[in-house]
Amino acid sequence: MSQIMIIEDDPVIREELALLLENEGYTPLQVTEFTNVPEQAAQKRPDLILLDIGLPGRDGFSLCAALRKVVHAPVIFVTSRDAGMDEVRALSLGGDDYITKPYSVPVLLARIKAVLRRSGGLEAADLLEAEGLRLSLTKGSVSAGGKTAELTRNELQILACLMAHTGQIVSRADLMDALWDNQIYIDDNTLSVNMTRLRGKLGEIGLPDAIKTRRGMGYQL
Amino acid sequence: MTVREFLSDRLSRMVLQLICAGLAALFLFATGTPSGILAILFLVLLLIFISAQLFDFFRQRAYFRELKAILDGLDRKYLFMECAPRPKGLYERQLFHLARQAGQAMTGAVSDAQALQREYREYVERWVHEIKAPITATRLICRNLDGDVRRKLMAELAQIEAHIERALFYARAENPEQDCLFQQVNLENIAAQAIEHHRSLLIQSGIRVETEGLTGAVYTDEKWTVFILGQLLQNAARYRGMEPVITLSAKPLGKQMQLILSDNGIGIPAHELPRVFDRGFTGSNGRKRGDSTGMGLYLCKKLASFLELDLRIVSKEGEGTTVTLTFPTKENLTKV
Repeated sequence: MSQIMIIEDDPVIREELALLLENEGYTPLQVTEFTNVPEQAAQKRPDLILLDIGLPGRDGFSLCAALRKVVHAPVIFVTSRDAGMDEVRALSLGGDDYITKPYSVPVLLARIKAVLRRSGGLEAADLLEAEGLRLSLTKGSVSAGGKTAELTRNELQILACLMAHTGQIVSRADLMDALWDNQIYIDDNTLSVNMTRLRGKLGEIGLPDAIKTRRGMGYQL
Repeated sequence: MTVREFLSDRLSRMVLQLICAGLAALFLFATGTPSGILAILFLVLLLIFISAQLFDFFRQRAYFRELKAILDGLDRKYLFMECAPRPKGLYERQLFHLARQAGQAMTGAVSDAQALQREYREYVERWVHEIKAPITATRLICRNLDGDVRRKLMAELAQIEAHIERALFYARAENPEQDCLFQQVNLENIAAQAIEHHRSLLIQSGIRVETEGLTGAVYTDEKWTVFILGQLLQNAARYRGMEPVITLSAKPLGKQMQLILSDNGIGIPAHELPRVFDRGFTGSNGRKRGDSTGMGLYLCKKLASFLELDLRIVSKEGEGTTVTLTFPTKENLTKV
């Protein structure tokens, strides 16, 4: 389980962030005392540090330099400043990534995942299981009852999103949000086409009705 | 200053001198001075008089030329009196003194106004950064809500953020030099950032985003260009038609690069097209929707002119709008 240290002075953000990370399967470490952050980091040995630049008392940039000396964990800067020079400075001081407030939750999680993967601190949860379906993310294949089907990138993402929220209704907009990626902008039609193909493939492996359509609301596994 | 102007200025003094000389001549003639001596006296006096006037004329002309050169060379013209050389005559000195006092009052007023503006801008920037913390918290809290409410709140939050961003850039546009960082940026990168920034709006509006041939690099400030493109994307999403599609493409124009954004939205009426960049202009489309501020395109134009970007809009009502951004080449940029 990856431990993520949250260095953030706004208590509401800190607690909500901790809750979010906990729900996503990380162990959050909240820092509430900002005078001896490097010591705390050295003691707790986190796998990743989320560092707010606008801390009371101490400049986040100098704090990053101090953190770098005691721990090897990657640092993601979180800031509400968005001047270009800040970004350059943050990255040159050994930050691994830089994200500006207000961030969207999926973007933040994606960045965390990417940085953890780069630093080797994350054994990617490869296998998702739900409703008798086994989804292998690295192989891009789904299997059920001994039969296997290969999935395309979009189909894989749709299924992974539905399996992560088994039993819940996932709206089309949420699915599109999950599919929407750099340089690949999914629209409504593409989603429908991919959904039809995905159902076809699930049908081939014996589960044609695994994904239910909830009219006007979305889809449900 | 021409000779004629000079003469007409001195006319009364010259007439007076002529009258005095005439009276003196009359007096001398009446007291028995021979007319030959009078003529010599008169000629000598005339010579002295003319050379004195000529001397004055050339001195004054040289002085004004110098002043003119100083004024032309000044960046902030209201500082003129501080730089002008002190005149010699009593009358000019007094005038100079008064003008200098007025100038100093002006300089004080200008620097006060500048300080106020700077403080205001700093406050707006600080405020924008502070407001981002509660927005971030709200976003995180929203995540716990169920689908429909969350989406609606997220959409409202996105609106709030868009307004805040415009306020920030409006404050920055007053002194753009301070924030600009011209560097080589890929068009693809700019487009991806702007689209990512407005992803929830684009997804909620059901827009299909297509990109074509977005290769090539331009010299510009990344943040500002992303902001401009973001405003254009927002407009395209707000004034969308049926089955909305936004196409982003790049086209080289000689050595320059063009970024073209076209949509199949409701378009802009032809008679409103020349005014879309005006401050506060909302147009009939904006009035129908009711939440238009008329600031987006105005800001775009303002920032674009600083970035030396050429921003053009072509639109046909009911068919769509095409916006073309022409980037300057590196050699033509005066501010690198």
